[in-house]
Amino acid sequence: MTEGLQSARRGAIDPHLSIRHYDADADLMLLHFGPQHPSTHGVFRMDLYLDGEVIVKATPFLGYLHRGVEKLCEKLTYVQQTPVVDKNDYVSPMINEQALNMAFEKLLKLEVPRRARWLRTLLAELQRLASHLLWLGTFTLDLGGALGGGSTLFLHCFRERELILDLFEELTGSRFHYNTHTIGGNRHDLPAGLAAKVEVALAAIAARLGEYEDLSLGHAIFQARTKGVGTLDSDLALELGITGPILRASGVDHDLRRDAPYHAYDELTVNVATEHAGDCFARASVRFAEMRESIRLCRAVLEGLPEGPIAASKAVRLPTAVKIASGQVYVGIEGPRGEIGTFVIAGGDTPTTPYRLKIRAPSMHALAAIPYVMPGATLSDAVAILGSLDPIMGEVDR
Amino acid sequence: MGVFSYWIDTARALRTTLRNAFRPPTTVEFPAVIRPRAERYRASFALVDDENGECACVACQACEKICPSQVIKMKSGGKRESPVTGKKRAYADEFVLDLSACMQCELCVQVCNNDAIVMIREPEEPAYTRADLVFDMAHLRDNAHTKTATWANGTRLQEMQEGKKVPKAKPEPKPEPKPEPKPEPKAEPKPPTEGGTP
Ligand code: SF4
Ligand code: SF4
Repeated sequence: MTEGLQSARRGAIDPHLSIRHYDADADLMLLHFGPQHPSTHGVFRMDLYLDGEVIVKATPFLGYLHRGVEKLCEKLTYVQQTPVVDKNDYVSPMINEQALNMAFEKLLKLEVPRRARWLRTLLAELQRLASHLLWLGTFTLDLGGALGGGSTLFLHCFRERELILDLFEELTGSRFHYNTHTIGGNRHDLPAGLAAKVEVALAAIAARLGEYEDLSLGHAIFQARTKGVGTLDSDLALELGITGPILRASGVDHDLRRDAPYHAYDELTVNVATEHAGDCFARASVRFAEMRESIRLCRAVLEGLPEGPIAASKAVRLPTAVKIASGQVYVGIEGPRGEIGTFVIAGGDTPTTPYRLKIRAPSMHALAAIPYVMPGATLSDAVAILGSLDPIMGEVDR
Repeated sequence: MGVFSYWIDTARALRTTLRNAFRPPTTVEFPAVIRPRAERYRASFALVDDENGECACVACQACEKICPSQVIKMKSGGKRESPVTGKKRAYADEFVLDLSACMQCELCVQVCNNDAIVMIREPEEPAYTRADLVFDMAHLRDNAHTKTATWANGTRLQEMQEGKKVPKAKPEPKPEPKPEPKPEPKAEPKPPTEGGTP
């Protein structure tokens, strides 16, 4: 079936077969990669079977960061869940919050005011920019080249990401776990003067992006480390349910912001960047293009930000403020790593808690590519491939 | 191509590094210099006094119920006559907040109709044991006098979301989209010199 198809395509052994089915004389070495390896972006373990320096088989192991968020959400009421899902994808909490609250809004058939939708677009794009900056920093750090500006770029990217976190701090009071979205709108409106500060931060980041591109995409060592490494073809990516920049780097033109517009994206034009090579370099260039696109979208949002209320609902005063009797809904939105989705079945023990809440984490699907793309790569490439998949273990394990 | 281009690109990368070496520093020497915290910055908690100098909390338990982490516990003292005004009002006898499990979500502040619980901008001192982070009423009331409160309190948060007129730091939606054309041209010559945290 799926597995057989893939192995036939790659002309290799089925990556899901146990190691016993591999050549017994090959003298393979088992290497536990992680869970504390700095380049695993959290706690993630792979078992790598090596023939010399070449990976023969790679098996990812998940669950080191499992916190039972989905189960917890069955106990918490609808209004209490936003601060909890912040901690799923801890690099883009804004987008987690949006995916969750949009699902509840859809169940309640609640119309979000126009200003709130534009505000959410602004927050989502700023968050995407911050998330991609963090990815760029850690990816180049993973590649490790002090020559290629490895840790240099890491610090530079964090410096620019800081500009965005400062803006979020000013808006919400928190640098990370914002809890700024609520069912029906936003809790915090822009304080006076923040729009001008967003502009300044965007200009600073836009000016530096060229420099970063020079240090990464335009750098010969970076190219040598990423071009042709970890190639993922579009059929396999689609089969595995991979979305976001990884899918677009494999040549599939798919972006929910344009294909199923939500927020204010139906009023804005979103240019979707695609690449065809499907390797680490293509994934990096797609993310670079997305950063530029995010800056452009942020500016467009600031230009057209309408006035009006920021929420359709009254501020929450009781945990039982939102009651949903029954129904089920799935909402997926485009996060920095792909489609972040929330599937809710209403009608738990009480009308204020869901029966089941499932979070679709794009990173989890990205990790599913590991058994397919790792074999044949060298050990040093393993780090590059993992970095280019940009997994965030907080949302993989939840 | 080949190894030679590696050296050329490395030299280019070093030039960028050098250029950055002369940009203003981003970090501050923390204990000596404290970065200004945003007006809404959420760190710890305080129980504020009402105009008569008594604790404004009436033990309505709204914050206890909304807290997703369930870290607030209180004991109501029932209604009694206020020693200051002589009027009957409710009191909280005990109020305990466990900061070690709090996630600074601000929901407790939002639900407080008496604006009694607010967040403060200064972080608490690090503690050796978890018990040191469980704050009692005395500590929380003390915070209200010794630390800076954030902009937010229950009334303001509720009014901001519901779009009513909001006191000071609340945005006037109108002037906001306007200032942005100005910083843009200003920001363009800026990048080479600018790099500090605003
Ligand atoms: S702090 Fe406010 S919400 Fe909490 S019990 Fe006191 S009055 Fe009620
Ligand atoms: S901020 Fe949130 S978690 Fe902390 S005490 Fe208040 S309601 Fe509970």
